[in-house]
Parts: sequence; C-alpha cells; structure tokens
Amino acid sequence: MKKRTLSLLLTAAMTATALAGCGGSQTTTGESTQAEGANSGAGASTGAGETKAEGAGAGAAEFSYPMAAGDKLSYWCELTTTVSANYASLGDTPFAKGWQKETGAQIEFLHPPTGQLKEQFSLILADGNLPDLMEYNWMVDYPGGPEKAIKDGVILPLNDVFEQYCPNLTAYLKANPDIDKMIKTDEGHYYVFPFIRGEDKLCNTIGLMLREDWLEELNLEVPTTIDEWHTVLTAFKEKKGAAAPYCFEYTNAQYLNSDPFAYAFETNRSFYLGSDGKAHFGAAEENYKDFLATMAQWYAEGLIDPDLATLGNDQVSAKITNGTAGASMGQAGSRMGTWTTAARSSNPTFKLVAAPPPTLEKGAKAEFGQIENKYSGRASVAITTSCKDVERAARLMDYAYGEAGHLYFNFGTEGESYNMVEGYPTYTDTIMKNPEGLPVSQAMSAYIRGNYNGPFVQDIRYLEQYYTLEEQKATGGTWGDSNGKAHVMPPVTPTSDESREFSTIMNEINTYRDEMTLKFIFGTESLDNFDEYVKNIENMGLSRALEIQNAALERYNAR
Amino acid sequence: MMKDKKMNGSFGYRMRKDWIRNRSLYLLVIPVVVFYLMFHYKPMYGAIIAFKDYTPALGVAKSPWVGFANFTRFFKSVYFTRLIKNTILLSVYNLIFGFPAPIILALLLNEVRNKHFKSITQTITYLPHFISLIVVTGMLTNFCMTTGLFNDIIALFGGERAPLLQDPKLYRTIYVASSIWQEVGWGSIIYLSALAGVDSQLYEAAQIDGAGKWKQLIHVTMPAIAPTIIIMLIMKMGSLMNMGYEKTILLYNPSTYETADIISSHIYRIGLLDQDWSYSTAIGLFNSVINFGLLIITNKISKRYSETSLW
Amino acid sequence: MKVKRSKGERIFEVFNYALLTVIMLVCLYPVWYVFVASISDSNLLTQHMGILLKPLGFSTDAYMKVFQNPMIVKGYMNTMFILVVGVFLDLIMTSLGAYFLSRKRVMFKKPIMMFIIFTMFFSGGMIPFYLNLKDLHLTGTLWGLIIPFLITTYNMIILRTSFESIPESLVEAAQIDGAGHITILFQIVLPLSKAILAVMVLYYGVSIWNSWFWASAIIRNREMYPLQIILREILLQNDVSSMAAGSSAMDTEAIGMTIKYATIMVATIPILCVYPFLQKYFTKGTMVGAVKE
Repeated sequence: MKKRTLSLLLTAAMTATALAGCGGSQTTTGESTQAEGANSGAGASTGAGETKAEGAGAGAAEFSYPMAAGDKLSYWCELTTTVSANYASLGDTPFAKGWQKETGAQIEFLHPPTGQLKEQFSLILADGNLPDLMEYNWMVDYPGGPEKAIKDGVILPLNDVFEQYCPNLTAYLKANPDIDKMIKTDEGHYYVFPFIRGEDKLCNTIGLMLREDWLEELNLEVPTTIDEWHTVLTAFKEKKGAAAPYCFEYTNAQYLNSDPFAYAFETNRSFYLGSDGKAHFGAAEENYKDFLATMAQWYAEGLIDPDLATLGNDQVSAKITNGTAGASMGQAGSRMGTWTTAARSSNPTFKLVAAPPPTLEKGAKAEFGQIENKYSGRASVAITTSCKDVERAARLMDYAYGEAGHLYFNFGTEGESYNMVEGYPTYTDTIMKNPEGLPVSQAMSAYIRGNYNGPFVQDIRYLEQYYTLEEQKATGGTWGDSNGKAHVMPPVTPTSDESREFSTIMNEINTYRDEMTLKFIFGTESLDNFDEYVKNIENMGLSRALEIQNAALERYNAR
Repeated sequence: MMKDKKMNGSFGYRMRKDWIRNRSLYLLVIPVVVFYLMFHYKPMYGAIIAFKDYTPALGVAKSPWVGFANFTRFFKSVYFTRLIKNTILLSVYNLIFGFPAPIILALLLNEVRNKHFKSITQTITYLPHFISLIVVTGMLTNFCMTTGLFNDIIALFGGERAPLLQDPKLYRTIYVASSIWQEVGWGSIIYLSALAGVDSQLYEAAQIDGAGKWKQLIHVTMPAIAPTIIIMLIMKMGSLMNMGYEKTILLYNPSTYETADIISSHIYRIGLLDQDWSYSTAIGLFNSVINFGLLIITNKISKRYSETSLW
Repeated sequence: MKVKRSKGERIFEVFNYALLTVIMLVCLYPVWYVFVASISDSNLLTQHMGILLKPLGFSTDAYMKVFQNPMIVKGYMNTMFILVVGVFLDLIMTSLGAYFLSRKRVMFKKPIMMFIIFTMFFSGGMIPFYLNLKDLHLTGTLWGLIIPFLITTYNMIILRTSFESIPESLVEAAQIDGAGHITILFQIVLPLSKAILAVMVLYYGVSIWNSWFWASAIIRNREMYPLQIILREILLQNDVSSMAAGSSAMDTEAIGMTIKYATIMVATIPILCVYPFLQKYFTKGTMVGAVKE
C-alpha cells in the first residue's frame, strides 16, 4: 500500500515538473538544466519503475559503488563558513569531488547565502520547485515537523527506500536502536539521512570557562558552586579590574537554551524532562525565579556584563581576550581555542580552564547539564518529492554510513588527508599544518565533512585531533559531569494537526519570556511580579502547549 | 434622456479627439502600464492567499479558503495593540524629525558661498547613505555599549555610563537619530535640485527691495520649493506604516521589544522564519490598507490647502 | 553687484559654517572608523575598545584576504552587469512614464496616475511577489533582479515634477515642426533634464548597488551572487550561530575583524567614486530654472 502511494506521488511529481519544463521558455542556464532534467525524468519514468522492482527482487547485496552514470542530482545545503572562505561552492572542494567519484553520482550543489538558510528554505517550499536532496533541520525547523512535511508532499517517507537501497544505514540503525527510535516520526516513518554524533563525548559541546592564570594569581580554585562563582567573579572585578567579569554571547539562542547557571537551579528557559518523566516548561516555574534572582543580584553588583542583551561574538571575543571579562561560556573549539590563540599573541600567560556544571551545594553532583541528543535533527538530508531517481539519491546518501564512507567523511582520502597509524586515522600535515597556511578548520572543511554537521556519523577521533590544547581536551570530561542526559527532551514531534497551534502558542510565550527575563535581570521589573508573569504565560496557553508536548512525549516513549 | 445622450456624445467625442491628439503618447506609455500590471497588480491577485490556507502542493488557486481567519488571528494576538502602537509611534517620530532635516540641510547648504566647502559638505553628508544597513547597525550597537563611543561622550560631560540599547525608552531616539544621520544628506539632494532651480533674479529683486535673509527665505525660497516639499510629504505619509523590518531586526533585542517590535518585523518572523505564508500576507495586506487610507486623507488635505496633490 | 552684508548675516554665516562642519564630522567619522580599522593590526584591534582615531599598527593582510575570496571578483562582475543594464533600462522606462504623466490635456492621464500611485501604497506582499517571479521564470537569473524593479514609482514622480517645469512652449514649438513624442522626449525633454537624470542615476544606482534581499531569495547558484550578498556573508561570518557546537572554526590566527572592515571598504568605495562625476550636474541643476520664461 505504502509503496503504491510512493510511486503515485512520484509519478505526480514527475508529470508536474515535466509540464512546468515544457511551459518554460526562458533560456537561462538554471532553467534549461531544469527543463532537461524534467524531460529525461519523464522519459525514464518507466525505467525507474523497473529498476525498483529488480532492486526489490535481487536484494541490495549485489550492488557496489561507483554507480553507473545517470542524472545529475541537485543537493541544497548551507555552505559552512569554513568552506566558503576558500570555495565558491561545496562542489569545488576536494571532498565533494571525491564523494562523487566514489559513489558515481553527479551532484549539483545549491546553497543559500550564509545566514539566509531559513528564509531561502521558506521560499523554496513556497514555490514548490524542490531540489532532489535538501539538508536541513527537518525535525525542528519545518513548521509542523517531519510528519507534516511528508503529508504536505514535500519529502518522501524513507522506510522502503532504506530497506531497498540503504544497507549501510539499515545495518547501523539495527545496531543502534536508540538512534533508530530518534530518527523516526511517531507514525514510524523515516524521513532523513541523519546527522549523528557518534559518541556521548561529542554531545557535550558548551560549557563555562574562565581565566586559569587569574585564578592562580588570586589563589582561587575553579568554582563549582554558585557561591564560589560569586566569590570568583567578585575577585575578578575587584582585584583584576574586570569591568565585565562574566560575559557571554547572549544573542546566541544556543547558549541561552543551555545556560549552565540556570541548570544549577535545576531549570532551563525552555522544555525539559522532569524527574517525573514529564515535560516541563522551566521559565514558568519557581526555580527559574531563583535563577533570575541570582542573576539580577550579580547584574546589580556588576559581575555580569552590563551590555548583556546586545553581546555578539565580536564583543565577547574582544572582552575575553583583552581582560575586560574573566569568565564566559562557549565551545571548546570556536571559542576557547580561538580566544586562547588570539590572546596569547600579546599575553603569553593567558589560559582558560573549563569549569564543571555549577551546583547549589558543595560536592553535589550536578543534576542538570548541557548535553545534546545524538540526533539533534540538524543538517540531515531528506529526499524531496521532486526527486526523479530515488535509488540514485538514496545510494549516494547511504555511502556515508558504510565503513569506507565513514572514513571518507571523517578523515578524507588515505595518503592525502590522513594516514592509518596503528589503526588510528591520523590527519596529515595537509590538514594540521596546511602548506598554504589555511587554519585547521578550513583545511579540514576542504577535505572532509566530519568537522561540521552533515548526513553521516561523526567520529570522536576527529575531535581528538582537532583539539590541540590540553585545556580543550579536558572540556569533554569536565562539562559532561552531570546527570543532564536524564533531563534533555528527546526529539519529540507534535502531530501535524497540533503543530500550528503549538507553534503559535510558543511563539508568543517565547517572545514574552525573552523580554521579561531580561527585565528581571536588569531589575527594571521587580521579581515580586514573577507570579503575574507566570499567570500571563499561562493565559497565553501554556497548559495547552504542555499537553501537546506531553502527548508527543508519550508517543515517543511508545515508539 | 436627452441629456444623457448628449453627455455620451460629448464623452465619445472627447475620447476620439484625445485619441487623435495623443495616440503616440499612449503608445509610449504601454510598456509602463504593462510593467505595473505584471509586477504590481499580479502579485496583488496573489495576495488572496491571505484569505486561504496556502499550501504549495495545491498552488494558489486550489488552496482552501479560510475567510478572514488569518486576520482575526492577528487582531486577537496579544501583541496586536503593541505592534500597531510601536509602528505608528516610530513612523511618526521618523516623520516629525526625519522629514524636516534634509530640508534644513539643503537650506543651510544653499547659503554657503564657498563653492568648495559646499561641494565637500555635500559629498561627505551623502557618505552614510552608501554604507549598508548591516554595517550601520553593527557600528551603532558598538557605540551604544557602556564602553562605546556614545558613553565615552556621556562620561566626558560627567554623565553615567549605561547600556543605551537595552533601554526601551531610548530605542526610538536611537532608531530615528541614526536614520536621520544616514539619510539627511541623501534626502537633501532633491531639495538642492529644487533650490538650484529658483531664479536668481528673484533674490536680487528681493534684495533691492531690502529683504533680509529671513524674508528672502519666507517669500522667495520656500514658495519655490513648496511643491517639492508637499509631494514628498504626501508620499511619506502614505508609507507611514511601511517601516522596513531590516533595521529593526538588526537593532532590537528582547529588552527593547516593548518599544521596538513593529508590524514588519513581526511579518518577517512569521512569514519567512515560521513559514506561515498566508498569515504573514494577511498582516501585510492589513498594513497596506491602512497605508492607503493615510495617503488618501493626506492628499485630500493637501489639495484643499495648497492645491498641490499627487493626482 | 556686491551687496553689503549686515552683522546678523555675518553671524549667521559663521554659525552656518560651524554647524555644517559638525554635521560633516559626524557623517565622516564612522566611515573613517571603518577605513582605519581595515588597515589596523587585527590582534590590536580585537583588544581595542572605544574611539579609534588612527590605525592601530598597519597591515594590508585584510585586503589581501578579501581579494583571495573566490567570490569577490564574480560578485563584482554580476553587480556591474545588473548596475549598467539595470540603470539604463530604469532610466528609459522611468522617462517614458514620467513624460506621459507630465503632458497636459491628456484624457486618461489621471486614471493612469491613480493606477500607478496605488501600487506605492498597496502591495501584495513579499510571498505573492516571489510566487509571481517564479511564474514568470525570473528566478535563478540576473534578469530577475532587473526587470521586476525597472520603475521606482517615487523616482518617476520626481522626474515627472521636473518634466512639468519644462516650458510647454518648447514642446508645442516642436510639435508644430512635426516632431513626435519620442523625438520630443529624447531630443528636447531629456537633454534639458540632465541634472535630474544625474540624480536618477544615483538613486537607481545606489539602490541596485545596496540591494541584496531579492538576490538572496531568487538566486541559488553562487556563481550569480551580486557583491552585496558576498559582503553580507563575510560580515556574518564571525557570528553564525547555526554552526555546529564543538565543530566550528578554530582559526590559528586572530579573528578576522579587520577582514570585515576591509570588505566594507571594498564594497563601498566603487559607488563612492561614481558620485563626484555626477556631482557637477547637481550644481548645474540651474538649467531647469534657466529655461523658465
């Protein structure tokens, strides 16, 4: 039954595109390739059906890469900045050329301008003329979630596709049932080729860090509790003259969603999984008030950067490296590493150290902490309904989940970007000390996919080599020292009917929460009004949102 | 009956006469009309998705009708009054302070005798217009910080350093002042052009009559550039609600939402980030209707008091 | 003829010069700041806070980096194409419309004016506009950034106002000589409107130069990006929050703040250079007055 729907959908899509192609009269490059694609697609439609039947009969075992030549596939994804610094398109990188060579597929890469990902995605969907493959966060950023995307006729359900053409991914999912559960919808549909963090250590990405050289000078320990943090920050302010002792990139939502100080109060500004196994909305609970009270106190005492609300990466970087600030929050690579290298050029003693998730009581193990699900939804590839050669697209994507593909995506080509040293893939100097002077991150991006999100399983051995400073290597253990995993919301999705309602409610609540949180911290709104704030949130429909969220959670647990 | 026939006759007669007289003129304007039909009126038809639940797979024509649901949703939104209020206040301030600024600059420049000084001033005041908005707001954010340029100046005069962009009360001032800064020189071009067109004999005559600078301004300069000013004003009024989203999105933060969030930034978030196309189109349509109302009113007023009007 | 100036007038003049000088400084400083920052040493700049009056150290690395960017040259070419073709077509179309609207005794002038003005204040909105471009096959091509934006109504009205001030007698004289409207427009009206046309060139030119939104919406092929999109990308490069945690850039060199400023300079200077060539027409704007009877 399902198979029939699928082929029906395909035929419909093909006819539609073919018609559109015939109607087109413009003779630009973009249009002409499109028309060509449509024509050959229509011509090959019977052929595609045959291959499919064969494939089902013969099984996947006989297949081997590279594939025979065929239609060009269009692949839409964000171009990460470490690539765009040197290449006009992902297709120009040695990585993409090798990927096409290995798989035998030809790919036309399409990219939105940096920072315009969501906007262009929205417009592509609005006009309905979709690339074959689209890399996006289909779970979180498609309004209504993945099941809705399938129902809207945007992407294909992949269950049959996985079964027939994706032996590698199927094997991986069989071996990892926890991930298998995460990448399905409640209805049991697979919908993407997922980005998976291969190990828990790759899931701890953000944490607190502070100036170790200052701590030593002031004879202080790395703080572990809120009180100790208060002492340390006060000392930074009074003795080191830091005008903004604690300063972090407040404009970055990722940081706010995993604020270690909020975690210390066993809360979070958004949804979390309570000890009762239910979804809670942290920002409307009493713990959040305690968190705000502490932040407001620190802010009033000048321990937090007064410009908090407008802080971007630029300013934070400047303040940390020039000693205006002594503590911050961020990633080990793009923050700790970058800051350390930048600051040491003028201050060789500059050293940052990771601080563990703070708690209220000394010696207690942190109950909450930053950790991401192995599958976060990010940068995962769906096959759209416009795709004419589903097998080809599926085979292309499946490659990364096999053994050869895994090495290729994470380490590149042997002898070029890495060498096997005692069974350990070690990056060559092309990556680590690039002869053309490229920074490691850019050199990596040229040859591998493993250093930024994409449709493959990320290998911890990449990170082990990417972190060059001792303090960076220590972050994983320090930041991960919490029971946080028990409180992360699993990747649940509201049903397609509820999704519009849910997002309408949450848009209003989130806007209000963001606004009030800052007012409470700045002291422009007294915390005596916290109850009223909670009441307003409830009036916006919080209980309904929680109901939807909890129902989704139940469905998830029942998968 | 008779009268009607006569009217018809004269109408037809007039039309025929007009056609004979202006045929080639009408041919000339055809491309312009086609342009407007294709790129302005056709999208207006597309705006019917405001009354539908637009689904790309179904297309504009086949998406189901939902009536005014998208509009009522907007009216019922908790932020409705705040969005309207913020949009209107911001535009009104922008108009009150932003509109006269280029006129004043043009008048001041017009008084400068030193040609070199004049042209240098002109060139330099245009500069900010060429700087893209992203850069302007980036600098502004830096300048408004407690360690930034503005606070350095405030401290110089003994004031207290404060994070300026976190104060909802200051937001509109910053927004409007920076807009003036960016556009004052550029906006003065049109008035300088108009001023250049004033007959110098008029000034000489006024001087002979013993009129001072002030009198010359009132009796010679102002009447000469008044039509330009009025046309500009009407157009500004009609786009009163058309505050772009770009600057707002780059400049606001949650602590200033209270005064900063306006209709267009709301539409941007809804339509492009949340993919709620129909809803965002509905809000846009509502905005257009208000704009149009304002335009008609202003034009009426202008017609009555100054005999200058857009049509 | 030299007229004696009164004391008040002289005070005004001093005040006027002083005020304009202040305005000039206020307008100039941020540009100066960007320039100075672009040639500063990036490490020193990162650590610097507050006012910047002169370069911190000196380095042209940032400019080298900018020109190494594979997209900059392509961006320039694309923008130049849109600019040259766009401004030319814009001027023709706008003149046609303005000329029609400036004629007297034309029966359907008012309805057409209404038809045009209406669009200034009433629009279908972003999404319908985009869907329309899609229907007309104007996405994925640079023409899609030219054709839909041929006429800015605001500019057309300014041009109309200027055309109206050209004495009717000149036009009538030409008509008596048997000239058609096209001849009149191109041989009498336009040559008399050089000043305002220069203003139009700048108006259209700058808006084309600075526009980026529709390019980012309709162009998917990076080879066709205009300069502003590339500028935007470079500016945003340091704070892309969507990048993977723990897996984004760790540069072995200092953060490229100076690159941002150098990019701004590179993207702004060309359009600044055009202006002085056009400026002389602004002072020659007297032509409009000169032909008055």
